[in-house]
Amino acid sequence: MTEIFSIDPLIIKTPYEIEYKHSYGKTTPFFTSLSKGKFMTTRCERCKVTFLPPRADCPYCLGETKWVEISGKGKIHTFSTLHYSGEKFLKDLPFQLVYVELEGVDTVFLTRLKTKHPEKVKVGMKIKLKVSRDLEWRSSDVWAEPDE
Amino acid sequence: MVAGGLTYFSKARKDKTQEELAAEAARMALFENDINLGKDDIDGTIVSYFSDHFENQLLFGSIIQDYLGFNPKPSVRIEGGGATGGLAIRDGYAHVASGLLDVAMVIGFEKMSEVNTAKGNEFIALASDTDWDFPIGGFYSGYYALMAKRHMEEFGTTEEQMAMVAVKNRNNAQHNRFAQTNPKMNPFAMKDAGPITVDDVLKSPYVATPLKRLDICLMSDGAAVAILASEEVAKKITDTPIWIEGTGAGTDFMRAGDRPRTVGGVPLLPHEKKEWYKKLEYPGVHSFRAGRESARQAYKQANITNPLKQLDVIELHDAYTSSEIQTYEDLGLTQYGKGGKLVEEGVTAIDGDLPVNPSGGLIGAMHAVGATGVMQAVEMFWQLQGVAGKFHGSDKTQVKGAERGLIHSHAGTGTYVTATIMAR
Repeated sequence: MTEIFSIDPLIIKTPYEIEYKHSYGKTTPFFTSLSKGKFMTTRCERCKVTFLPPRADCPYCLGETKWVEISGKGKIHTFSTLHYSGEKFLKDLPFQLVYVELEGVDTVFLTRLKTKHPEKVKVGMKIKLKVSRDLEWRSSDVWAEPDE
Repeated sequence: MVAGGLTYFSKARKDKTQEELAAEAARMALFENDINLGKDDIDGTIVSYFSDHFENQLLFGSIIQDYLGFNPKPSVRIEGGGATGGLAIRDGYAHVASGLLDVAMVIGFEKMSEVNTAKGNEFIALASDTDWDFPIGGFYSGYYALMAKRHMEEFGTTEEQMAMVAVKNRNNAQHNRFAQTNPKMNPFAMKDAGPITVDDVLKSPYVATPLKRLDICLMSDGAAVAILASEEVAKKITDTPIWIEGTGAGTDFMRAGDRPRTVGGVPLLPHEKKEWYKKLEYPGVHSFRAGRESARQAYKQANITNPLKQLDVIELHDAYTSSEIQTYEDLGLTQYGKGGKLVEEGVTAIDGDLPVNPSGGLIGAMHAVGATGVMQAVEMFWQLQGVAGKFHGSDKTQVKGAERGLIHSHAGTGTYVTATIMAR
Protein backbone atom coordinates (compact mmCIF):
# COMPACT_ATOMS: atom_id res chain seq x y z
CA MET A 1 0.00 0.00 0.00
CA THR A 2 1.29 3.46 -0.85
CA GLU A 3 2.59 5.38 2.13
CA ILE A 4 1.45 9.01 2.19
CA PHE A 5 3.91 11.59 3.49
CA SER A 6 1.82 14.74 3.03
CA ILE A 7 -1.69 15.62 1.82
CA ASP A 8 -1.12 19.14 0.45
CA PRO A 9 0.92 19.09 -1.64
CA LEU A 10 0.30 15.37 -2.03
CA ILE A 11 3.59 13.55 -1.38
CA ILE A 12 3.83 9.75 -1.59
CA LYS A 13 6.71 7.38 -0.70
CA THR A 14 8.07 5.12 -3.45
CA PRO A 15 10.73 2.49 -2.64
CA TYR A 16 13.08 1.28 -5.41
CA GLU A 17 15.47 -1.67 -5.37
CA ILE A 18 17.64 -3.26 -8.04
CA GLU A 19 20.32 -5.92 -8.45
CA TYR A 20 23.14 -5.61 -11.01
CA LYS A 21 25.34 -8.41 -12.34
CA HIS A 22 28.50 -6.36 -12.65
CA SER A 23 31.58 -7.59 -14.53
CA TYR A 24 35.09 -6.49 -13.56
CA GLY A 25 36.15 -7.53 -17.06
CA LYS A 26 39.90 -7.66 -17.58
CA THR A 27 40.67 -6.21 -14.14
CA THR A 28 39.43 -9.50 -12.62
CA PRO A 29 42.98 -10.73 -11.77
CA PHE A 30 43.36 -7.93 -9.21
CA PHE A 31 40.56 -9.46 -7.18
CA THR A 32 41.39 -13.12 -7.72
CA SER A 33 45.04 -12.56 -6.77
CA LEU A 34 43.97 -11.07 -3.44
CA SER A 35 42.76 -14.51 -2.40
CA LYS A 36 46.35 -15.76 -2.97
CA GLY A 37 47.72 -12.95 -0.81
CA LYS A 38 49.18 -11.05 -3.77
CA PHE A 39 48.73 -7.50 -5.02
CA MET A 40 48.64 -7.52 -8.80
CA THR A 41 48.18 -4.52 -11.04
CA THR A 42 48.95 -3.45 -14.60
CA ARG A 43 51.83 -1.69 -16.28
CA CYS A 44 52.29 -0.16 -19.72
CA GLU A 45 55.83 -1.10 -20.79
CA ARG A 46 55.77 1.37 -23.65
CA CYS A 47 54.83 4.39 -21.48
CA LYS A 48 56.61 3.10 -18.34
CA VAL A 49 53.56 3.73 -16.21
CA THR A 50 52.14 1.38 -13.55
CA PHE A 51 48.50 1.91 -12.72
CA LEU A 52 46.58 1.09 -9.55
CA PRO A 53 43.63 0.60 -9.94
CA PRO A 54 44.61 -1.61 -12.88
CA ARG A 55 43.62 -0.76 -16.44
CA ALA A 56 43.68 -3.33 -19.23
CA ASP A 57 44.37 -0.55 -21.72
CA CYS A 58 46.89 2.29 -21.31
CA PRO A 59 45.22 5.72 -21.49
CA TYR A 60 48.44 7.29 -22.80
CA CYS A 61 49.10 5.05 -25.85
CA LEU A 62 45.99 2.81 -25.97
CA GLY A 63 48.28 -0.21 -25.99
CA GLU A 64 47.52 -3.24 -23.83
CA THR A 65 49.04 -3.37 -20.35
CA LYS A 66 50.72 -6.31 -18.57
CA TRP A 67 50.10 -7.65 -15.07
CA VAL A 68 52.83 -7.05 -12.49
CA GLU A 69 53.08 -7.83 -8.79
CA ILE A 70 53.54 -4.95 -6.32
CA SER A 71 54.60 -5.03 -2.69
CA GLY A 72 51.67 -3.06 -1.29
CA LYS A 73 54.07 -0.94 0.76
CA GLY A 74 54.12 2.81 0.57
CA LYS A 75 53.32 6.10 2.27
CA ILE A 76 50.42 8.46 2.83
CA HIS A 77 49.98 11.15 0.17
CA THR A 78 47.02 12.84 1.90
CA PHE A 79 44.34 11.84 4.42
CA SER A 80 40.96 12.81 5.88
CA THR A 81 38.84 11.65 8.79
CA LEU A 82 35.19 11.36 7.80
CA HIS A 83 32.45 12.20 10.28
CA TYR A 84 29.67 12.03 7.71
CA SER A 85 29.17 10.10 4.46
CA GLY A 86 26.67 8.81 1.94
CA GLU A 87 23.91 6.57 3.28
CA LYS A 88 25.74 3.33 2.57
CA PHE A 89 28.69 4.12 4.84
CA LEU A 90 27.00 5.94 7.74
CA LYS A 91 27.38 2.77 9.83
CA ASP A 92 31.20 2.89 9.47
CA LEU A 93 31.67 6.44 10.79
CA PRO A 94 34.09 7.81 11.73
CA PHE A 95 36.70 6.38 9.32
CA GLN A 96 39.83 7.61 7.59
CA LEU A 97 40.36 7.94 3.85
CA VAL A 98 43.86 8.13 2.40
CA TYR A 99 45.52 8.43 -0.95
CA VAL A 100 48.67 6.31 -0.78
CA GLU A 101 51.84 6.37 -2.87
CA LEU A 102 52.86 2.73 -3.36
CA GLU A 103 56.24 1.26 -4.30
CA GLY A 104 56.39 0.69 -8.04
CA VAL A 105 53.07 2.45 -8.71
CA ASP A 106 52.79 5.79 -10.51
CA THR A 107 49.23 6.69 -9.55
CA VAL A 108 48.05 7.35 -6.00
CA PHE A 109 45.52 4.86 -4.64
CA LEU A 110 42.39 5.68 -2.68
CA THR A 111 41.76 3.39 0.26
CA ARG A 112 40.81 3.42 3.93
CA LEU A 113 43.38 3.64 6.70
CA LYS A 114 42.79 1.44 9.72
CA THR A 115 44.79 2.49 12.74
CA LYS A 116 44.45 2.49 16.52
CA HIS A 117 46.08 5.93 16.61
CA PRO A 118 44.26 8.18 14.10
CA GLU A 119 45.72 11.25 15.80
CA LYS A 120 49.24 10.18 14.75
CA VAL A 121 48.46 10.03 11.05
CA LYS A 122 50.38 12.42 8.83
CA VAL A 123 51.41 12.92 5.23
CA GLY A 124 54.46 10.77 4.44
CA MET A 125 53.68 8.12 7.08
CA LYS A 126 54.64 4.57 6.02
CA ILE A 127 51.79 2.17 5.36
CA LYS A 128 51.21 -1.29 3.92
CA LEU A 129 48.12 -2.66 2.21
CA LYS A 130 46.11 -5.37 3.95
CA VAL A 131 43.53 -7.78 2.54
CA SER A 132 40.27 -8.84 4.12
CA ARG A 133 39.93 -12.52 5.10
CA ASP A 134 36.33 -12.48 3.98
CA LEU A 135 36.51 -11.20 0.42
CA GLU A 136 33.50 -9.23 -0.77
CA TRP A 137 35.10 -8.79 -4.22
CA ARG A 138 35.09 -5.02 -3.89
CA SER A 139 37.90 -2.48 -3.72
CA SER A 140 37.11 -2.19 -0.02
CA ASP A 141 38.60 -5.69 0.45
CA VAL A 142 41.92 -3.83 0.60
CA TRP A 143 42.91 -1.16 3.11
CA ALA A 144 46.05 0.46 4.50
CA GLU A 145 47.58 0.05 7.96
CA PRO A 146 50.58 1.80 9.51
CA ASP A 147 53.80 -0.08 8.60
CA GLU A 148 55.78 0.05 11.80
CA MET B 1 22.68 36.14 -24.08
CA VAL B 2 19.47 38.13 -24.05
CA ALA B 3 17.55 37.01 -20.96
CA GLY B 4 17.75 35.06 -17.71
CA GLY B 5 15.45 33.76 -15.01
CA LEU B 6 15.77 31.97 -11.66
CA THR B 7 13.52 30.37 -9.09
CA TYR B 8 13.81 30.82 -5.39
CA PHE B 9 16.24 28.12 -4.28
CA SER B 10 15.47 25.89 -1.36
CA LYS B 11 16.51 22.74 0.46
CA ALA B 12 13.07 21.41 -0.53
CA ARG B 13 10.58 23.06 -2.90
CA LYS B 14 7.74 20.73 -1.95
CA ASP B 15 5.26 23.22 -3.37
CA LYS B 16 6.22 22.53 -7.01
CA THR B 17 7.30 19.69 -9.29
CA GLN B 18 10.52 19.91 -11.27
CA GLU B 19 8.72 21.02 -14.44
CA GLU B 20 6.78 23.63 -12.48
CA LEU B 21 10.08 25.00 -11.17
CA ALA B 22 11.41 25.15 -14.75
CA ALA B 23 8.28 27.08 -15.75
CA GLU B 24 8.86 29.56 -12.89
CA ALA B 25 12.37 30.33 -14.18
CA ALA B 26 11.31 30.36 -17.86
CA ARG B 27 8.53 32.84 -17.11
CA MET B 28 11.01 35.20 -15.46
CA ALA B 29 13.42 34.87 -18.39
CA LEU B 30 10.73 35.64 -20.97
CA PHE B 31 8.68 38.26 -19.17
CA GLU B 32 10.86 40.06 -16.62
CA ASN B 33 13.88 40.92 -18.78
CA ASP B 34 13.88 43.95 -21.02
CA ILE B 35 13.50 42.12 -24.36
CA ASN B 36 11.19 42.14 -27.32
CA LEU B 37 10.85 38.37 -27.55
CA GLY B 38 7.89 36.03 -27.24
CA LYS B 39 7.70 32.40 -26.24
CA ASP B 40 7.08 31.41 -29.87
CA ASP B 41 10.40 33.00 -30.88
CA ILE B 42 12.32 30.24 -29.07
CA ASP B 43 13.62 27.87 -31.78
CA GLY B 44 14.67 25.03 -29.50
CA THR B 45 15.88 24.10 -26.03
CA ILE B 46 18.92 22.68 -24.28
CA VAL B 47 17.83 20.88 -21.14
CA SER B 48 20.37 20.70 -18.32
CA TYR B 49 20.00 18.26 -15.44
CA PHE B 50 22.42 15.94 -13.70
CA SER B 51 20.75 12.90 -12.23
CA ASP B 52 17.99 10.55 -13.30
CA HIS B 53 18.13 9.06 -9.79
CA PHE B 54 16.76 11.96 -7.77
CA GLU B 55 13.34 11.69 -9.42
CA ASN B 56 13.66 8.13 -10.76
CA GLN B 57 12.54 9.44 -14.14
CA LEU B 58 14.42 8.96 -17.37
CA LEU B 59 13.91 11.33 -20.33
CA PHE B 60 12.88 14.18 -18.05
CA GLY B 61 13.88 16.54 -20.85
CA SER B 62 10.78 15.51 -22.75
CA ILE B 63 8.55 16.35 -19.79
CA ILE B 64 10.16 19.80 -19.62
CA GLN B 65 9.81 20.33 -23.36
CA ASP B 66 6.08 19.56 -23.42
CA TYR B 67 5.32 21.21 -20.07
CA LEU B 68 6.80 24.48 -21.34
CA GLY B 69 4.98 24.02 -24.66
CA PHE B 70 7.94 23.81 -27.05
CA ASN B 71 6.87 20.71 -29.02
CA PRO B 72 7.63 19.90 -31.84
CA LYS B 73 10.78 22.05 -31.79
CA PRO B 74 14.22 20.46 -31.21
CA SER B 75 15.57 19.76 -27.75
CA VAL B 76 18.64 18.01 -26.34
CA ARG B 77 19.64 16.97 -22.84
CA ILE B 78 23.13 17.82 -21.58
CA GLU B 79 24.68 16.01 -18.60
CA GLY B 80 28.16 16.35 -17.17
CA GLY B 81 28.00 16.02 -13.38
CA GLY B 82 28.49 19.31 -11.55
CA ALA B 83 29.48 20.98 -14.83
CA THR B 84 26.15 20.11 -16.45
CA GLY B 85 24.99 23.75 -16.47
CA GLY B 86 28.26 25.13 -17.84
CA LEU B 87 28.28 22.49 -20.56
CA ALA B 88 24.64 23.32 -21.40
CA ILE B 89 25.47 27.02 -21.79
CA ARG B 90 28.36 26.03 -24.07
CA ASP B 91 26.02 23.77 -26.03
CA GLY B 92 23.47 26.57 -26.35
CA TYR B 93 26.26 28.79 -27.63
CA ALA B 94 27.32 26.10 -30.13
CA HIS B 95 23.75 25.64 -31.35
CA VAL B 96 23.39 29.38 -31.97
CA ALA B 97 26.89 29.97 -33.34
CA SER B 98 26.47 27.09 -35.81
CA GLY B 99 23.15 28.47 -37.02
CA LEU B 100 21.17 25.40 -35.92
CA LEU B 101 19.05 27.64 -33.69
CA ASP B 102 18.58 31.42 -33.88
CA VAL B 103 17.17 31.61 -30.38
CA ALA B 104 17.93 28.88 -27.82
CA MET B 105 16.55 28.46 -24.32
CA VAL B 106 18.87 26.70 -21.87
CA ILE B 107 16.81 25.19 -19.05
CA GLY B 108 18.67 23.98 -15.96
CA PHE B 109 17.01 22.31 -12.99
CA GLU B 110 17.38 19.73 -10.24
CA LYS B 111 15.14 18.57 -7.45
CA MET B 112 17.37 16.86 -4.93
CA SER B 113 15.04 16.82 -1.93
CA GLU B 114 12.91 13.79 -2.71
CA VAL B 115 15.49 11.46 -1.20
CA ASN B 116 17.07 11.96 2.24
CA THR B 117 20.33 13.93 2.44
CA ALA B 118 22.56 10.87 3.00
CA LYS B 119 20.98 9.12 0.02
CA GLY B 120 21.41 12.32 -1.99
CA ASN B 121 25.11 12.32 -1.11
CA GLU B 122 25.27 8.69 -2.18
CA PHE B 123 23.70 9.54 -5.56
CA ILE B 124 26.24 12.30 -6.02
CA ALA B 125 29.01 9.86 -5.11
CA LEU B 126 27.78 7.54 -7.86
CA ALA B 127 29.43 10.19 -10.05
CA SER B 128 32.73 8.77 -8.82
CA ASP B 129 34.19 5.46 -10.02
CA THR B 130 31.84 2.84 -8.57
CA ASP B 131 34.34 -0.03 -8.99
CA TRP B 132 37.19 1.58 -7.11
CA ASP B 133 36.42 4.87 -5.34
CA PHE B 134 32.80 4.59 -4.27
CA PRO B 135 33.13 1.34 -2.24
CA ILE B 136 35.91 2.89 -0.12
CA GLY B 137 33.48 5.32 1.45
CA GLY B 138 31.98 7.14 -1.50
CA PHE B 139 31.31 10.70 -0.44
CA TYR B 140 32.36 13.76 -2.35
CA SER B 141 33.22 15.78 0.75
CA GLY B 142 35.72 13.03 1.58
CA TYR B 143 37.35 13.27 -1.84
CA TYR B 144 37.56 17.07 -1.62
CA ALA B 145 38.89 16.84 1.92
CA LEU B 146 41.78 14.69 0.65
CA MET B 147 42.51 17.25 -2.07
CA ALA B 148 42.22 20.17 0.37
CA LYS B 149 44.60 18.47 2.81
CA ARG B 150 47.13 17.96 0.04
CA HIS B 151 46.75 21.63 -1.00
CA MET B 152 47.46 22.64 2.60
CA GLU B 153 50.48 20.32 2.73
CA GLU B 154 51.83 21.50 -0.62
CA PHE B 155 51.22 25.25 -0.26
CA GLY B 156 50.45 26.07 3.37
CA THR B 157 46.79 26.93 2.76
CA THR B 158 44.94 27.27 6.09
CA GLU B 159 41.50 26.42 7.45
CA GLU B 160 41.09 30.13 8.30
CA GLN B 161 41.56 31.09 4.65
CA MET B 162 38.98 28.48 3.67
CA ALA B 163 36.61 29.88 6.29
CA MET B 164 37.00 33.34 4.74
CA VAL B 165 35.63 31.98 1.47
CA ALA B 166 32.57 30.61 3.28
CA VAL B 167 31.97 33.94 5.03
CA LYS B 168 32.33 35.92 1.80
CA ASN B 169 29.92 33.75 -0.17
CA ARG B 170 27.39 33.18 2.57
CA ASN B 171 27.28 36.89 3.42
CA ASN B 172 26.99 37.93 -0.24
CA ALA B 173 23.95 35.63 -0.38
CA GLN B 174 22.25 37.70 2.31
CA HIS B 175 21.55 40.33 -0.38
CA ASN B 176 20.30 37.89 -3.03
CA ARG B 177 16.62 37.08 -2.65
CA PHE B 178 16.98 33.78 -4.56
CA ALA B 179 19.57 32.42 -2.12
CA GLN B 180 18.80 29.39 0.02
CA THR B 181 20.70 30.78 3.03
CA ASN B 182 18.82 34.11 2.98
CA PRO B 183 15.75 33.73 5.22
CA LYS B 184 15.10 37.49 5.23
CA MET B 185 14.40 37.68 1.49
CA ASN B 186 13.69 34.14 0.29
CA PRO B 187 10.41 32.62 1.54
CA PHE B 188 11.80 29.12 0.85
CA ALA B 189 15.17 29.66 2.60
CA MET B 190 16.64 27.64 5.46
CA LYS B 191 15.11 29.31 8.49
CA ASP B 192 18.25 28.91 10.63
CA ALA B 193 20.63 30.35 8.01
CA GLY B 194 21.75 33.99 7.70
CA PRO B 195 25.12 35.76 7.93
CA ILE B 196 28.15 33.99 9.43
CA THR B 197 31.62 34.77 10.78
CA VAL B 198 34.99 33.07 10.39
CA ASP B 199 34.57 31.83 13.94
CA ASP B 200 31.21 30.23 13.06
CA VAL B 201 32.87 28.32 10.23
CA LEU B 202 35.82 27.20 12.33
CA LYS B 203 33.49 26.02 15.09
CA SER B 204 31.09 24.19 12.78
CA PRO B 205 31.46 20.39 13.01
CA TYR B 206 33.95 18.53 10.84
CA VAL B 207 32.36 16.60 8.01
CA ALA B 208 35.65 15.33 6.56
CA THR B 209 38.80 16.89 8.00
CA PRO B 210 39.80 19.62 7.16
CA LEU B 211 36.33 20.45 5.76
CA LYS B 212 33.62 21.58 8.14
CA ARG B 213 29.90 21.88 7.61
CA LEU B 214 30.10 25.56 6.64
CA ASP B 215 32.92 24.88 4.14
CA ILE B 216 30.55 22.79 2.05
CA CYS B 217 27.99 23.79 -0.55
CA LEU B 218 24.24 23.46 -0.35
CA MET B 219 21.98 20.81 -1.86
CA SER B 220 19.02 22.48 -3.55
CA ASP B 221 15.79 22.36 -5.47
CA GLY B 222 15.35 24.96 -8.18
CA ALA B 223 15.73 26.00 -11.79
CA ALA B 224 17.55 28.54 -13.94
CA VAL B 225 16.88 29.60 -17.53
CA ALA B 226 19.11 31.46 -19.99
CA ILE B 227 18.07 32.62 -23.45
CA LEU B 228 20.78 32.85 -26.11
CA ALA B 229 20.31 34.44 -29.52
CA SER B 230 22.30 35.00 -32.69
CA GLU B 231 24.02 38.36 -33.04
CA GLU B 232 21.47 39.46 -35.62
CA VAL B 233 18.44 38.57 -33.48
CA ALA B 234 20.01 39.85 -30.26
CA LYS B 235 20.55 43.32 -31.72
CA LYS B 236 16.91 43.47 -32.76
CA ILE B 237 15.32 42.37 -29.49
CA THR B 238 17.39 44.13 -26.84
CA ASP B 239 19.54 47.24 -26.37
CA THR B 240 21.71 45.47 -23.82
CA PRO B 241 22.75 42.03 -25.11
CA ILE B 242 25.61 40.34 -23.25
CA TRP B 243 28.15 38.70 -25.57
CA ILE B 244 29.84 35.36 -25.13
CA GLU B 245 33.44 36.18 -26.02
CA GLY B 246 34.97 32.80 -25.39
CA THR B 247 34.25 29.40 -23.93
CA GLY B 248 36.57 26.58 -22.96
CA ALA B 249 36.18 23.08 -21.58
CA GLY B 250 38.67 20.73 -20.00
CA THR B 251 38.68 17.21 -18.61
CA ASP B 252 40.73 14.99 -16.34
CA PHE B 253 40.90 11.40 -15.08
CA MET B 254 37.69 10.27 -13.35
CA ARG B 255 39.73 8.99 -10.39
CA ALA B 256 41.78 11.90 -9.08
CA GLY B 257 44.46 9.44 -7.97
CA ASP B 258 45.15 8.49 -11.59
CA ARG B 259 46.20 12.02 -12.55
CA PRO B 260 49.85 12.56 -13.37
CA ARG B 261 52.26 14.29 -11.03
CA THR B 262 54.53 15.82 -13.63
CA VAL B 263 57.28 18.03 -12.26
CA GLY B 264 56.96 21.47 -13.85
CA GLY B 265 53.93 20.26 -15.79
CA VAL B 266 51.69 23.31 -15.42
CA PRO B 267 50.18 24.47 -18.75
CA LEU B 268 51.05 28.17 -18.60
CA LEU B 269 48.68 31.08 -19.15
CA PRO B 270 49.99 34.09 -21.10
CA HIS B 271 50.96 36.07 -17.99
CA GLU B 272 52.71 33.19 -16.21
CA LYS B 273 56.40 32.29 -16.06
CA LYS B 274 57.78 28.76 -16.30
CA GLU B 275 60.14 29.28 -13.35
CA TRP B 276 57.19 29.79 -10.99
CA TYR B 277 56.36 26.10 -11.19
CA LYS B 278 59.71 24.43 -11.87
CA LYS B 279 59.37 22.12 -8.87
CA LEU B 280 55.60 21.73 -8.70
CA GLU B 281 54.17 18.25 -9.33
CA TYR B 282 51.12 18.86 -11.49
CA PRO B 283 48.22 18.42 -11.36
CA GLY B 284 48.38 15.74 -8.66
CA VAL B 285 45.32 15.83 -6.42
CA HIS B 286 45.81 19.45 -5.32
CA SER B 287 44.99 21.24 -8.58
CA PHE B 288 42.41 20.98 -11.34
CA ARG B 289 44.07 20.60 -14.73
CA ALA B 290 40.63 20.61 -16.39
CA GLY B 291 39.94 24.04 -14.90
CA ARG B 292 43.27 25.35 -16.15
CA GLU B 293 42.59 23.95 -19.63
CA SER B 294 39.09 25.46 -19.79
CA ALA B 295 40.46 28.87 -18.78
CA ARG B 296 43.34 28.65 -21.27
CA GLN B 297 40.91 28.12 -24.16
CA ALA B 298 38.42 30.77 -23.04
CA TYR B 299 41.15 33.38 -22.45
CA LYS B 300 42.63 32.71 -25.88
CA GLN B 301 39.28 33.24 -27.59
CA ALA B 302 38.52 36.39 -25.59
CA ASN B 303 42.07 37.83 -25.86
CA ILE B 304 42.60 37.78 -22.12
CA THR B 305 46.26 37.93 -21.19
CA ASN B 306 45.87 39.04 -17.58
CA PRO B 307 42.65 37.68 -16.06
CA LEU B 308 42.96 39.51 -12.72
CA LYS B 309 43.06 42.85 -14.55
CA GLN B 310 40.76 42.12 -17.48
CA LEU B 311 37.91 40.42 -15.62
CA ASP B 312 35.55 42.47 -13.44
CA VAL B 313 33.51 39.70 -11.80
CA ILE B 314 33.49 35.90 -11.54
CA GLU B 315 30.87 33.33 -10.64
CA LEU B 316 32.70 30.08 -9.95
CA HIS B 317 31.84 26.59 -8.73
CA ASP B 318 32.51 26.82 -4.97
CA ALA B 319 31.40 23.29 -4.12
CA TYR B 320 33.87 23.63 -1.24
CA THR B 321 35.72 26.61 0.17
CA SER B 322 38.93 24.74 -0.66
CA SER B 323 37.91 24.29 -4.29
CA GLU B 324 37.20 28.02 -4.66
CA ILE B 325 40.80 28.63 -3.54
CA GLN B 326 42.08 25.92 -5.88
CA THR B 327 40.06 27.45 -8.72
CA TYR B 328 41.57 30.93 -8.23
CA GLU B 329 44.87 29.29 -9.13
CA ASP B 330 43.55 27.23 -12.06
CA LEU B 331 42.03 30.41 -13.52
CA GLY B 332 45.35 32.20 -13.10
CA LEU B 333 43.99 34.91 -10.79
CA THR B 334 47.09 34.26 -8.72
CA GLN B 335 50.00 31.79 -8.78
CA TYR B 336 49.49 28.15 -7.85
CA GLY B 337 49.82 28.01 -4.09
CA LYS B 338 48.70 31.57 -3.43
CA GLY B 339 44.94 31.13 -3.69
CA GLY B 340 44.46 31.34 0.08
CA LYS B 341 46.26 34.68 0.15
CA LEU B 342 43.92 36.07 -2.51
CA VAL B 343 40.85 35.69 -0.32
CA GLU B 344 42.80 36.78 2.76
CA GLU B 345 43.74 40.04 1.01
CA GLY B 346 40.09 40.68 0.12
CA VAL B 347 40.72 40.69 -3.63
CA THR B 348 37.67 38.48 -4.25
CA ALA B 349 35.36 40.24 -1.79
CA ILE B 350 32.30 42.06 -3.13
CA ASP B 351 34.21 45.37 -2.79
CA GLY B 352 37.56 43.87 -3.88
CA ASP B 353 39.42 44.18 -7.18
CA LEU B 354 37.80 41.06 -8.60
CA PRO B 355 34.61 40.03 -6.79
CA VAL B 356 34.02 36.27 -6.87
CA ASN B 357 30.55 34.83 -6.32
CA PRO B 358 28.58 38.01 -5.57
CA SER B 359 25.45 35.80 -5.82
CA GLY B 360 26.65 33.72 -2.89
CA GLY B 361 27.66 30.85 -5.14
CA LEU B 362 27.06 27.22 -4.27
CA ILE B 363 27.84 27.84 -0.60
CA GLY B 364 25.50 30.78 -0.12
CA ALA B 365 22.90 30.68 -2.88
CA MET B 366 22.25 27.20 -4.27
CA HIS B 367 23.52 23.99 -5.77
CA ALA B 368 20.66 22.40 -7.66
CA VAL B 369 23.20 20.64 -9.85
CA GLY B 370 21.76 20.97 -13.37
CA ALA B 371 20.64 24.54 -12.65
CA THR B 372 23.94 25.70 -11.15
CA GLY B 373 25.97 26.55 -14.24
CA VAL B 374 22.92 28.14 -15.83
CA MET B 375 22.35 30.18 -12.66
CA GLN B 376 25.92 31.47 -13.03
CA ALA B 377 25.17 32.60 -16.58
CA VAL B 378 22.00 34.35 -15.42
CA GLU B 379 23.85 36.03 -12.55
CA MET B 380 26.64 37.16 -14.87
CA PHE B 381 24.11 38.42 -17.41
CA TRP B 382 22.39 40.60 -14.79
CA GLN B 383 25.74 41.79 -13.40
CA LEU B 384 26.94 42.91 -16.83
CA GLN B 385 23.61 44.54 -17.66
CA GLY B 386 23.89 46.36 -14.33
CA VAL B 387 20.51 45.05 -13.13
CA ALA B 388 21.65 42.56 -10.46
CA GLY B 389 20.24 44.82 -7.77
CA LYS B 390 16.81 44.89 -9.35
CA PHE B 391 16.62 41.11 -9.57
CA HIS B 392 18.28 40.39 -6.23
CA GLY B 393 16.17 42.92 -4.36
CA SER B 394 19.29 44.68 -3.03
CA ASP B 395 21.92 46.89 -4.68
CA LYS B 396 24.68 45.46 -2.51
CA THR B 397 25.39 42.56 -4.88
CA GLN B 398 25.90 44.69 -8.00
CA VAL B 399 29.55 44.95 -9.02
CA LYS B 400 29.69 48.54 -10.18
CA GLY B 401 30.71 49.13 -13.77
CA ALA B 402 31.29 45.41 -14.48
CA GLU B 403 32.00 44.99 -18.19
CA ARG B 404 33.50 41.53 -18.49
CA GLY B 405 33.13 38.42 -16.37
CA LEU B 406 33.86 34.71 -16.22
CA ILE B 407 31.60 31.82 -15.27
CA HIS B 408 33.14 28.51 -14.22
CA SER B 409 31.36 25.16 -13.94
CA HIS B 410 33.00 22.08 -12.44
CA ALA B 411 32.20 18.36 -12.19
CA GLY B 412 33.42 15.41 -10.18
CA THR B 413 36.81 15.80 -8.61
CA GLY B 414 37.63 18.14 -11.50
CA THR B 415 36.71 15.72 -14.27
CA TYR B 416 34.79 18.15 -16.50
CA VAL B 417 35.27 21.92 -16.17
CA THR B 418 34.02 24.78 -18.32
CA ALA B 419 34.93 28.47 -18.35
CA THR B 420 32.99 31.04 -20.34
CA ILE B 421 33.72 34.74 -20.79
CA MET B 422 30.78 37.11 -21.03
CA ALA B 423 30.97 40.83 -21.78
CA ARG B 424 28.83 43.90 -22.18
